[in-house]
Amino acid sequence: MAFAPSGPEASFFEVLDQHRASLLATLRRGGGEPAGGGTRLASSSEVLASIENIIQDVITSLARNEAPAFTIDNRSSWENIKFEDSVGLHMISHCTTRKIKSDSPKSVKNFALILKILSTIYKLVQSNTYATKRDIYYTDSQLFGNQTVVDNIINDISCMLKVPRRSLHILSTSKGLIAGNLRYIEEDGTKVNCTCATAVPVSSNIQGIRNLITDAKFLLIVEKDATFQRLLDDNFCNKMSPCIMVTPTSVFYHLKLKGKGVPDLNTRLLVKKLWDTFHIPVFSLVDADPHGIEIMCIYKYGSMAMSFEAHNLTVPAIRWLGLLPSDIKRLNIPKSTLIPMTKRDQMKLDSILKRPYVTCQPFWRKEMEIMGDSKMKAEIQALTFLSSDYLSRVYLPNKLKFGGWI
Amino acid sequence: MHGNRPYKLILKYLIIHWKCETAEVSKGALLEGQLVISIEALNSKHQANTLHCVTTIASAGSIYGGLVLKKFLKEIQSILHGFSAKLNWTSEEASYSQDTSGVTPFQMIFEVDEKPKTLMTDCLIIKNFLHKIIIVLPKIRFNFSVKVNGIFSMEIFEAENEPTLNLSNGIALVVNYQHYVSAPKFGTTELLCSRIHPVLGHPVVLFIPDDVAGMGLLGELILTPAAALCPCPKVFSNQLNRISSISIFLYGPLGLPLILPSQEQPTAAIFKDTSYFIDWKKYHLCVVPNLDLNLDGDLVLPDVSYQVESSEGDQSQNMDPQGQTLLLFLFVDFHSRFPVQQMELWGVQTLLTTHLSAIFMESHSAVQDSIQITVGQVLEHHHQAVKAHQKLQASLSVAVNSIMSIMTGSTSSSFRKICLQTLQATDTQEFRTKLHKSFHETTQHRFLHHCSCEVKQQLLPERDDAEQSTEDAHENSSLELLAGTSGQVGNKRLKGSSLHQGVEETRAFRSAGALSPSEAARRRAEATVSPLTPSRSRTGPGSGLEDALWLQEVSNLSEWLSPGPRP
Repeated sequence: MAFAPSGPEASFFEVLDQHRASLLATLRRGGGEPAGGGTRLASSSEVLASIENIIQDVITSLARNEAPAFTIDNRSSWENIKFEDSVGLHMISHCTTRKIKSDSPKSVKNFALILKILSTIYKLVQSNTYATKRDIYYTDSQLFGNQTVVDNIINDISCMLKVPRRSLHILSTSKGLIAGNLRYIEEDGTKVNCTCATAVPVSSNIQGIRNLITDAKFLLIVEKDATFQRLLDDNFCNKMSPCIMVTPTSVFYHLKLKGKGVPDLNTRLLVKKLWDTFHIPVFSLVDADPHGIEIMCIYKYGSMAMSFEAHNLTVPAIRWLGLLPSDIKRLNIPKSTLIPMTKRDQMKLDSILKRPYVTCQPFWRKEMEIMGDSKMKAEIQALTFLSSDYLSRVYLPNKLKFGGWI
Repeated sequence: MHGNRPYKLILKYLIIHWKCETAEVSKGALLEGQLVISIEALNSKHQANTLHCVTTIASAGSIYGGLVLKKFLKEIQSILHGFSAKLNWTSEEASYSQDTSGVTPFQMIFEVDEKPKTLMTDCLIIKNFLHKIIIVLPKIRFNFSVKVNGIFSMEIFEAENEPTLNLSNGIALVVNYQHYVSAPKFGTTELLCSRIHPVLGHPVVLFIPDDVAGMGLLGELILTPAAALCPCPKVFSNQLNRISSISIFLYGPLGLPLILPSQEQPTAAIFKDTSYFIDWKKYHLCVVPNLDLNLDGDLVLPDVSYQVESSEGDQSQNMDPQGQTLLLFLFVDFHSRFPVQQMELWGVQTLLTTHLSAIFMESHSAVQDSIQITVGQVLEHHHQAVKAHQKLQASLSVAVNSIMSIMTGSTSSSFRKICLQTLQATDTQEFRTKLHKSFHETTQHRFLHHCSCEVKQQLLPERDDAEQSTEDAHENSSLELLAGTSGQVGNKRLKGSSLHQGVEETRAFRSAGALSPSEAARRRAEATVSPLTPSRSRTGPGSGLEDALWLQEVSNLSEWLSPGPRP
C-alpha cells in the first residue's frame, strides 16, 4: 500500500480558509481585540500591596471599634452582567455588591476564610511558588469543608483585587487534554509536542506558555472525553491534519456527573490563547442536548461565575459544528438512539433561550427550537449507529469541508 | 410549733385569703399590696439567754377587703395548731364598717420566746421565704424589720419594676438573673443580658394516691414545669460553657412556696434520687445533691440543689468553677370548675406540703416526661449557643492568625509599622492580643445590639435624689453594694446584717436600676414579658415580641452550625 500523506489535500480546507479570512476581517473591522477589562495581569508587588491594603482596612475598622467587612461584587447576579457580541458575558463596571461581615453569624466564617486564603496567596506570591485550588483546600480541609468553598472564595478574591487568578499564584487543576498540530514550551522550559499518538494534558500554567507553534487549520473543542478518545483512536488528527483538538474533561472527571464536560479554566485559557495568537477557526463538537449547548456557550460567551474574567476567557468566534439537532433528521439517525428530554433538560433549554446572546445567533436559536419541539436529545455516539467510524470518517470531514457550522 | 413556721403559715394564709377575696374582681391579675412584718426582741425577764419576741404583721395599704376579722383570727388559730404564742388582733373595726371601698388595714400581733441563735436563723429563713414569694408575686412588697435590744435593721422585698414572665394562673416569674445566681466573676462587659429565659413545659395532671386522697377536692392538681439557664446563655463567655449546678424551686397554688418538712434539707426521697425527674446521663451531666445551702445570701434559695460534676467521658467541659445554673421551677396549681374556696386552697397547700413525694410518685412517668422535655429544650438551646460560640471563636482565631501571618511575614516595614500604630501596639505579641480583643469586642457588640433581652448597660442609671442620698449614706458607712446597676435584686441587705451589729440604715433598692418615676413607669410598661403558656395563647401589649426575638436569636445562632458557608 502506498504511503498516504497525512491530512487531506489543500482544497479540502478552502471553506475553512475562507471562514478564517472572514473572522480576521471581522476582527479588523471591530478594531482588533477588545481591550481587556475587569481583570488585568498584576505584578507580584502589586498583589502583595493590594493584600496589605486590605489588611490595613481591617485593622483600621477594628481600631475604630467597627466590625470589619469585605465588600464583594455579586459575581453570580444577572443584574451585574451584560452581553457584548465581541466579548460575551462580562461584568458591568458599577455592579451591586454584598458585604461579608465579621460580626454576623451567617458570614463570620466566610470572613475568616477569606483572610485565611489571602494569607495563603500572600505567601505564594512572596515566595513565587504556585498552588492549585485543590492544594489550598487540602491545607486545611476540615476548616474549609469542601472544595467549592475554596473555589468561590478564590474567585471572590480575584474579583475583589481585580486580578486574574494566575496573578494570585493559584493554578487551576487542569483536567483537559490536547492533541494535534501544536508545540510549545512551558514556563519551566519543558517542551511539549501535542502531535504524539496520545493526548497531552493541558498545562496548568497557560500564562507561562511560550513559543507556541502550529499550522492548524482549525481547533476542535470536543465535549466528551469518550468522543475525544474515539477520534484519537481513529487517527483523526492525522487524517484532518493540520488541526488541533481539545477536550476539557479527562476520563476521571468524565465519570463524575458534576463537572461532566464543563470546561475548566486552563482549557478555556488555552483555547483563548490559541485564538488570540493564531486566529484559527474554533469549532465545538457537543452532544445535541441542552447541556452540550451550554458548554459551548461557556467557551463562546463565558459563564456568569467567571464573568469578571470574561475578556481573558471568551472566544466569541467559536462556531457550532455538531451534533446539530437538524443533523438528526438530515442523517436519518434512528429514533431508537434518541433520548427523551427530561424536565430538567427542558428547563435548561428554556433558560438558554432566554440568555441575551441567543438573540444574535438566529441559527442557534432555530436548532434549539427544533430540539425543543421534538423533545428529544441525542449524544454524539448516536452517529455510531450509522457506522462505527461515521463521526471521524464521514460526519466531521464533510462538515469541515462544506462549512456545516453555524 | 415554733420557729419560723408560724410566720410562713400566717403569711400564706393571708395571701390565700387575699387572693380569694380579689378573685371575683380581677381574675388572673397579679396580687398587689404591701405587708409589714416587724419583730421586736428584748431579753426575756424570765429566762436566761432568751429573747422575748413580739411580731407584728400588718398591711400597709388597703388590701384586705371583706376580711371578717374574728373569723380570720379563729381560722389562723386553728392553723397554728400547737403554736403556744399569744395571738392578738387589732384593726380599725369602726372604719371597716364605714369604709365604702370595702377595704381595711389590719394588724396581727403575736409573741414568742426564742433563743437568739434560733431567732437569727428564723429571720434568715423568713427572708428567704419572702424572697421566694416576690419572685412569683412581684407586686407584693414586704417590709421586714427586726429590732433586737434596740438594734434595728430592715429590709424591703419587692420586685415590682423588674421584668417578669406572666404565667397563666395569676402569677408571674421574675426573670432578673440576679435573684438566682451571683454576678459572674469576670468583667462586666462580658455579661450583657440580665434575664433568664424560662421555657414552660406542658402541664400534667397529678394524681393523688388513694391513701392520701379523701379531702374531697373538687378539682385537679396540675404541674407546670419551667426551666431556664442562668445567666442567659445567649451572651456568653468561655466560662459559661458548662452547667455547674441545678436549682429546683417548688411552688404550690397561687405561687406560694411549698414548705416541705425540714426545709433546710431535702428529705423527700424523690429529691434524694437525682435521676427521679430527669435522666441526667442523657445530657452527660453527673449530678449529686448539694446540701451546702447558704441562707445568709442575697439569692433566693432553692428548695433542692444539685452540684454538677464533670462526667468521665466529657473532656470538653470547661472546668471553670463558675458555670451556669439550671433553674427548674415546679408550679403545682389547683384547677377547678367551681369557685375555689379559701379552705379548699389551704387544704391543697397542706396536702402538697405533707404528701408531695407521694403525689409526684403517683404520676412519676408523666411528671418525668414533662420535666425532661422542658429541661431538654433548655439544654438544647444551651448546647446550640455553646456550639455557636465555639464556631465564632474558631472563626475569629482563623482571622487573627491570618492577619498575623501577613503582618509578620511582610517585608514592608511601613506596612508593619502602620499595623502596630493603628492598634497602638509596641510589638507583634501585643498586636496579636489587641487584635483578638478587638475582634471579640466588635462581635460582642453585635450581640449587644441585637440582643432581645433587657441589656445591662454599662452607663450608670438615672438616679433620683432619694436614691443618691441613700447611696451617699451607703458610701459613708462602707457598706457593700450589690453588683450591677440595673435589674437590682428586690431586696437590699445591710452588710453583715447580723442582729448584733449596730448598723442603722435603710435603703430602698429600686428595681430596674433606680430609675426616675417616669422612667420606672415606662420600664414597668415595657418590662412585662408576654405570658408563655405552653399553648402560647395569651399575649399582652408588646408581648411575645421579646421572647420571639430571643427564640429568633437562638435560631440565628443555630446558623453557625449550618455546613459550609455560601460565599
